[in-house]
Amino acid sequence: MTESGHSSGGGMTARLVAAPRVRRGARQKVGDIVLSVVLIVLSLFMIVPLVWLITTSVTTRAEAFQLPPRWIPTPPTLANYAEINSLIPIGRMALNSLIVSVLATAGALLTSTLAAYAFSRIRFRGGNTLFSVLLAALMVPVQLTVIPLFILMRTLGLVDNLAAVWLPATVNVFGIFFLRQYFASIPRDLDEAARIDGAGHLRILFQIMLPLAMPALSALTIFLFEATWNNYFWPSIFLQSNEQMTLPVGLVQLQGAVGGGPAVVVFAAITAVVLPVLILFLIFQRSFVESIASTGLKA
Amino acid sequence: MSSAPVAVSTVRRRGIEGRSNLAGWFFVSPAVLLFIVFIAGPFVAAMGLSLFSWDLLTPARFVGMENFTRLFGDATVWLSLRNTFVFAFASVVTHIVIGLALAVAVNRPLHKVVQYVTRSAIFFPFLISWAAVSLLWKYVLDPDFGIASYYLGRIGITPPNWLIDPQWALPALIGIDWWHTIGYTFVILLAGLQTVPGIYHEAAKIDGANAWQRFWHVTLPIMAPTLVFAMIITFIGAFQIFEPMRIITDGGPSDSTRSIVLYLYQQAFESFQVGYASTIALVVFAIVMIVTLLQLRLSRRWMGHD
Repeated sequence: MTESGHSSGGGMTARLVAAPRVRRGARQKVGDIVLSVVLIVLSLFMIVPLVWLITTSVTTRAEAFQLPPRWIPTPPTLANYAEINSLIPIGRMALNSLIVSVLATAGALLTSTLAAYAFSRIRFRGGNTLFSVLLAALMVPVQLTVIPLFILMRTLGLVDNLAAVWLPATVNVFGIFFLRQYFASIPRDLDEAARIDGAGHLRILFQIMLPLAMPALSALTIFLFEATWNNYFWPSIFLQSNEQMTLPVGLVQLQGAVGGGPAVVVFAAITAVVLPVLILFLIFQRSFVESIASTGLKA
Repeated sequence: MSSAPVAVSTVRRRGIEGRSNLAGWFFVSPAVLLFIVFIAGPFVAAMGLSLFSWDLLTPARFVGMENFTRLFGDATVWLSLRNTFVFAFASVVTHIVIGLALAVAVNRPLHKVVQYVTRSAIFFPFLISWAAVSLLWKYVLDPDFGIASYYLGRIGITPPNWLIDPQWALPALIGIDWWHTIGYTFVILLAGLQTVPGIYHEAAKIDGANAWQRFWHVTLPIMAPTLVFAMIITFIGAFQIFEPMRIITDGGPSDSTRSIVLYLYQQAFESFQVGYASTIALVVFAIVMIVTLLQLRLSRRWMGHD
């Protein structure tokens, strides 16, 4: 940019025109540096609560919560983590969370894939109507369906059972819609060629469509898993005993400890829940961001 | 004679159609069955429940529109709706304005490290569950040992007692929600921003438009559909806010943070008034539906299709 004025002619006019451009370039550079500083400061504000959380969780009870906070605990201790289990069965809760999230995600992926394939590749009577009904259901908030479902689960004796949480999550209308949109963007030539070769729908779906739909599938997997893993509303209604609770509901059980002695232990428990997510995020950051961006834009 | 081949092909086509109908319904059947049991059925049941008075113990009693008349006279419903609307509007404004500013800033050719750090720091809190976020912030805002009050005090600001003061509890929750979910808005807006062709900016630059003019006349119009989408999705999400109200304040102090979904929850699962709770849920549904349809209309007008 700054060179353009000189190389274009070297005449007086060119110089005069170029001069303000040079200054604007410099100003822009200063602007970007200021902007960078502002962004870094803002980023620090965003992560300060998390840094405080993690450092406090490895601080001894006697030294924790001093003001000004000690940002570097000396010496760091893991004792608080050892105490979590005396308050809540955190290992069991993590296992419950994993079971619920894996089953819900796998179930929703399977049902969504099959339905999305039918909606994008098979013309069948009632298909369009059905699809419209499903789309309309996107507007139904869970708060409306949760009350009858609570009554249903109570009748079936499934209250305080993990199935009450993962079973209803095995159908995901958004997932169907999202995958159908993606399938529709895959050229039909491929599956028509396979059909001529005698391949059935299942083979076309699993051998041709799914490999091509990997970006959409992984985005949806992250989206579904994250949603079930972090869900509080649903499990807080259906799960009642500590042994059945998922991590978010279990964490809130620690509320009673607020202000009392073991606040550091609560911090350790929150950290134990947040840290694995942070590590996964730092490794798969791109996938996380792309998942949210794509599922959001197409919703 | 000439009609015979036609008849054959019709029969064959019917056969193919029949098979295709069968295949179609076979593929959608798992989703449809689950949909009926877990979404459509409960949806219809909720409408029915709103006509009953039922505490889950004694037999349900048909009351007709009584729940609806009760709803209009229930001051707590109106207060909760007011809180929820305030929360949702504040949420939309802070998310969109700051989110857009951040997206525009990060979209500039800054140093890679700055971009990476900013993107990660803004986005990560979105991946933490509301449960963890709520507990953490309860401590951060604690007047005695929280870091927020301490550092505000250090720079000469006497902070209010956030979660105890009825005037400040809702704004505090709006702030916590912002911290938690701005990453989502930011990513959506950044993705939208990256679809703005660079050539438009170059053209505007050559025409002598400054950065502000380019933002106002190039970026914003192209971003309009994404912005409307982000606004609507933020509004709908915020309108259904529940977790921080339940975990941090439980609706207090003096009802200042009771959201409509929290009230619904309390009616259903604490007072066991499932009929009345369903009626409140129908109000939430109606509002969500109106806003969604509004978005569909707007986006249809913008894109001219779908």
